[in-house]
Amino acid sequence: MAGMSPSERRLQKELMSLIKEPPPGVSVDTNIAEQNLLHWVIHMEGAAGTLYEGERFQLQFKFSNKYPFDSPEVTFIGNNIPVHPHVYSNGHICLSILTDDWSPALSVQSVCLSIVSMLSSCKEKQRPPDNTFYVKTCNKNPKKTKWWYHDDSV
Amino acid sequence: MASSANEDVKGSTGDEGHNSETKDEEKKDDSIFECNICLDTARDAVVSLCGHLFCWPCLHQWLETRPNRQVCPVCKAAISKEKVVPLYGRGSTKQEDPREKVPPRPAGQRTEPEPGTSFPGFGFGDNSFHMSFGIGAFPFGFFTSTFNFGDPRPAAAAHGTHQHMEEQFLSKIFLWLAILFLTWLLMA
Repeated sequence: MAGMSPSERRLQKELMSLIKEPPPGVSVDTNIAEQNLLHWVIHMEGAAGTLYEGERFQLQFKFSNKYPFDSPEVTFIGNNIPVHPHVYSNGHICLSILTDDWSPALSVQSVCLSIVSMLSSCKEKQRPPDNTFYVKTCNKNPKKTKWWYHDDSV
Repeated sequence: MASSANEDVKGSTGDEGHNSETKDEEKKDDSIFECNICLDTARDAVVSLCGHLFCWPCLHQWLETRPNRQVCPVCKAAISKEKVVPLYGRGSTKQEDPREKVPPRPAGQRTEPEPGTSFPGFGFGDNSFHMSFGIGAFPFGFFTSTFNFGDPRPAAAAHGTHQHMEEQFLSKIFLWLAILFLTWLLMA
C-alpha cells in the first residue's frame, strides 16, 4: 500500500471490507475496481418484500482524488434503472447524502445501504414528475445538478 | 501499510487457531482507535466534544472543505477547531498540541464555501435557477444540452406511452418558442 494517495488508501480499505463483509444483496465488481480504484461498479438486488424484489441493478461510483472529502458521483447504469420517484431514467439519483449532506464518515457501503433503503420504502413505482425535462437538459454529472431535497418520505 | 493489509488476510484465513483469535482481538482493539475519515489508526488524534475520533490532519481538511458549515462527519453536531480535544497517550514523546501542527493552508488553495441551501432557486441571479427549472436562463440550458460531447442523447420513448406524449408536447413548445424568438429578432 506504499505510495498510494490518501484517497486510494481509504478506497483500498473500503474495497477490502466490502469484499469481506458485503451487506445483504450488495456485491462489488472486483475486476473493475481493481483496475481503477477511482471507478467501481456495484451489483445490487432489490430487497425481499419490497416493490423491487427479484430485480437486479448496477450502480456506478466515480471518486475524485479529494475523496472522502468530496462525495462520490453515484448513478445507476445498465439496462435496468429502477423506476422510483427519486431516480431519473438516465440513472441520476436525487439523494441528499450524495451532495449537500455528504460526510467523509460515510462510505460506499453506507451509500449502498441508503439507496437500498430508499428503494425499499417506495410505495408506488413511478418516475420523478420532471423526468422528461431533466433527462433532456441535465449535465452528464449529477453532482452539477442543484437538487431540491423536499420529500423525505421515500 | 502493507503490513496491516497482510494481517487482515491472515486474520481471515484463521488457520492457526488460538493465534488467529488473538490477532482478531488485536484488530478489534485497533479499529476502536481508527480515524473516522481515513480509516487508519488515528495519528495526532483529536476527539470532538460529541466523542468522535479523528486524525487532526483529516479533520482539519474537512473543516477547511466547508468553512461555513463545520459539522462532525459522524453525527453532524457543530464542531470547530476550539471544540476538539487533543489526545496524548503515554507513548507520545512530544506533548505538543496536534492542532498547532497543521499550518493554515495558503489562501489560494482554500475552497469556496458552498452556496447557501436555505432557499435554493429563489433568486434569479444564482445559477441554481436554471438547473432546477431549465427555463430560468435560456442560454445555459442550451449549452448544457448541446455541448455534452460524447454523451449520447437518450433514445426517444416508444409510441403511445405517456413519456412519448410528454416529449411531443415539449418539442412543440420549444418549436413555438424558437419561432417567436426568431420573429422577435426580425421585428426588432
